[in-house]
Amino acid sequence: MITQEEAKKLTAKVLGLTTFPECHLTLTSSEQAYTRFANNGITTASFNLRHNLTIAVTREGRTGVMAVNDFDDASLKAAMLQAEELAKIAPPNPERLPPVGPQEFPKTFDLDEATATARAPQMIPHVKTIIDAAMAAKMVAAGLIERSLRVSAIANKAGLFGYHRSSDSQLTTTIRMPDGSSSGWAGQPSMKLTSLDSKGLAATAIEKCKRWKNPIRLDPGKYTVVLEPTATGDLVRLMTGGFSARATDEGRTFLSKRGGGSLLGEKYFPEFVTLRMDPFDPRQPSSPWTSDFLPTDKITWIDKGVIANLAYDRYWANKTGKKATPGAFGGFGGGRGGGGGGGAAGSLIMEGSNDSLDDLIKGVERGLLITHLWYIRGVNPQTLQQTGLTRDGVFLIENGKITTPVMNMRFLESPVRLLRNAKRIGTAMRVRGLEGGIMIAPSMVATDFPMPSISDAV
Amino acid sequence: MLWTRRRFISSSPSVLIASSALADSLFAAPAADSKTPNPELEKLAANALREAKKLKASYCDIRIVRLRDQRVSLRQTPERGTGKTLSVPGVAEDASFGFGVRVIVNGAWGFAASPVVTPEEIARITGEAVIIAKANASIQPKPLQLAPVKAYRDRWVTPHDVDPLKVPMGEKIELLHKVVSEIKKETRVFSGSANLNLRSEDKYFASSEGSSIQQYILQIYGNVDATAVDREKNLSRTRNYVPTQASAGWEYVPEMNLEENARRIREEVLEHLAAPPVKPGKKDLILMPNHLMLTIHESVAHPTELDRALGYEANYAGTSYITPDKIGKRVASDHCTFVGDRTTPRGLATVGYDDDGVKATAFTIIDKGIVKSFQTTRDQAHLIGEKESHGCSQADSWATVPFQRMPNVHLKAGPADTTLEDLIAGVDDGVLIDGRGSYSIDQQRYNFQFGGDAFWEIKGGKKRGMLSRVSYQDRTPDFWQNCDGTAGPAYWRLFGTTGDAKGEPTQINSISHGCSPTRFRNIEVIVTD
Repeated sequence: MITQEEAKKLTAKVLGLTTFPECHLTLTSSEQAYTRFANNGITTASFNLRHNLTIAVTREGRTGVMAVNDFDDASLKAAMLQAEELAKIAPPNPERLPPVGPQEFPKTFDLDEATATARAPQMIPHVKTIIDAAMAAKMVAAGLIERSLRVSAIANKAGLFGYHRSSDSQLTTTIRMPDGSSSGWAGQPSMKLTSLDSKGLAATAIEKCKRWKNPIRLDPGKYTVVLEPTATGDLVRLMTGGFSARATDEGRTFLSKRGGGSLLGEKYFPEFVTLRMDPFDPRQPSSPWTSDFLPTDKITWIDKGVIANLAYDRYWANKTGKKATPGAFGGFGGGRGGGGGGGAAGSLIMEGSNDSLDDLIKGVERGLLITHLWYIRGVNPQTLQQTGLTRDGVFLIENGKITTPVMNMRFLESPVRLLRNAKRIGTAMRVRGLEGGIMIAPSMVATDFPMPSISDAV
Repeated sequence: MLWTRRRFISSSPSVLIASSALADSLFAAPAADSKTPNPELEKLAANALREAKKLKASYCDIRIVRLRDQRVSLRQTPERGTGKTLSVPGVAEDASFGFGVRVIVNGAWGFAASPVVTPEEIARITGEAVIIAKANASIQPKPLQLAPVKAYRDRWVTPHDVDPLKVPMGEKIELLHKVVSEIKKETRVFSGSANLNLRSEDKYFASSEGSSIQQYILQIYGNVDATAVDREKNLSRTRNYVPTQASAGWEYVPEMNLEENARRIREEVLEHLAAPPVKPGKKDLILMPNHLMLTIHESVAHPTELDRALGYEANYAGTSYITPDKIGKRVASDHCTFVGDRTTPRGLATVGYDDDGVKATAFTIIDKGIVKSFQTTRDQAHLIGEKESHGCSQADSWATVPFQRMPNVHLKAGPADTTLEDLIAGVDDGVLIDGRGSYSIDQQRYNFQFGGDAFWEIKGGKKRGMLSRVSYQDRTPDFWQNCDGTAGPAYWRLFGTTGDAKGEPTQINSISHGCSPTRFRNIEVIVTD
């Protein structure tokens, strides 16, 4: 992969190719290895390399952007010329700010060499452990093991330079009855491939599959739910877009007040709800710079139930006399929910407690235990109402005990209302939902969770 | 072995220095009427085929691909403090060039990919693919079996007059400026935006079974939206216009009627903002083609993917309520005939050949409500006793593994004398739904909740004013059994979806679905936020 010195040399060369006063470069290089399995056999596996250089040049407020993956001199020169041509034609951007100068980026500890270099010999034994366990239980396993190594570098003509390497891995499995009558899921994202617990994941998924056989049909309605950490993460990660200061000021988020103003500083959630970002937390990788190319930092969005901060990009911070914050969702499009794609948005943490999932279950008189959620889609971008379904294990809790498997159900709820209805949280752990959101999330008990219909899906 | 830039730089300087020129020359427009691929591509590909043979692979294919993507956007919003309308543009292009090699060794697949298109790197990466296949073979319950395919030597190009990527950028920006300015002529609209996305894929495929196929595929996507905000009620609503996303040349763009539709949606977004919420309950629905296309996509096209039906996607995309034992059984009403078709003019999944080298074809999936067949690839066809693949193999990049992806899937039009007005006239209490909203469906495609972009009440056989906060939920087999009419061919329209996710790691696909306005009886309509 590209070293820091090579990145410096390459970006300096490309910056030297333009006479435009502003030029910003983003260089990425990645290596990925994965193995997929299904029906108790390997289906596909891949080893792939990718790299990309995005050139953004600006003159008189007019910006052109060109991305290439050919790094020879002729290609770089051609790409720069094309970016310049685009800039000449583009209208000026009235929201553009001058480029940021040199920055001191903090160290984030995101690389595990063993994970970054792992290949089939390190990965296939995990697959074999899961398939062997499923076969021994007369079940059928599917899943994915994946590891990635990513290099990012940024540079501009104002003297900015940053370089960062990160690695990550994950193992997930779905174990089903051969006749399709039950299904169980378990998953683990891990900074270290060596920490992946294939035996434990197989046992969890097999146990769920065994227990979920012959689920009963409950009536649609509002239920008290116990969300496992992955299910909590599936919903809570979708709140971050609502913290956009711009969208809030413009009346487009759940934090906008009728007639103007925001809920900033108000106690809106229960005392035990704290939502923050910490790019220095060693449990998950994070970029050292924000989406505005400023040094990342910790920030708290909800502090013990109080709306503690709104997210400002540089433009809106400048307009309102505030300081730009971490979080990739501070801009115009921020209000629509979503986990945020860059900056420190990957370092989202909802605080947990010392209570185990069993402790939470014990405290519920009647409710549903939910493994994770699927096909979650926004219904209202302002209230952040979402719909989706439970999947791979739903169980009735009666008098503090899991009693009966229950058919899947559709939910229709906003994570905002979910947190307002939260009654108790359990231990937090790093989770990765089926639809990609990664965060540290706790198990949670919440009341009045709307389940308007039943699903036949197993 | 860790790939390093030093290794990349030192691998073959003479070719690398010219690699951009290499992509340009490899994929240069052919001499008039040439039907054969560039021989230079064939020479490069031969390195993979030769190396695979040497390493005892029983099958090998290579795709050398260049992807280009041009994005132009314009947003107009009021400036904080002054209220002055600011126009915020975005102008960007991407290009990506590389190759992927797929092999079968000991009955198992292996795949590897690299952006360094040199003979040496192609041979090295082929070796990587062989290593992976050998490792995979250690846990392979049954050896792979490929359906036979003819060897083709051909060149295929999306039919077009003007290459959209060659149209001056200034013309595109000017068009968007006109469109967004139309929206903002209505001062009560808070923001307007529009974008165009123009994509091309140069793809060369060669296989150890003798195929050599070069394709040039074009796609045009557009979008216009208007957002209105009511600060007193703390409400915001957006109305979209998404013209047919098409595989076409620039000559198609005027047909999108972007300006005319911008004028329409700037009015409709205000009506939507003030519209009363729907009264929930069982109602009849008239679904317009730009809405129904995604309902078809989710509830018919995905469930008839054979890999899904057989459990290969169980860990992510899910399985299916339509399994191979349902062939010959009813899952929809007589009004419902669905076809898979990779030859539809302007369809986003329309190609000359798929990524298995199978010639594009059309096939019936559901005939008058009865399941006939599934979407297949070469390594799947035998699993349902078919002798040929339906040509549904695709990868979204040179760096990703080809697997079973959806073709264009259409609902056939109804009788020629059935009109939209006839369908509406037959509804006493219903809703007409236009455009795409929130779509969610379970992992076996039974329970769904679909929303739209705009809704009109139907009362006593007449279309009335707009409604808001509408979604409908149903169980897929019941829903299609409750279809009691679809308008004739004069109403049939093609619409595309461009972000279809499947597989792990996720790959993105673009597909078109054609249909006419269609009526469904007694569907559960709910009121949302």
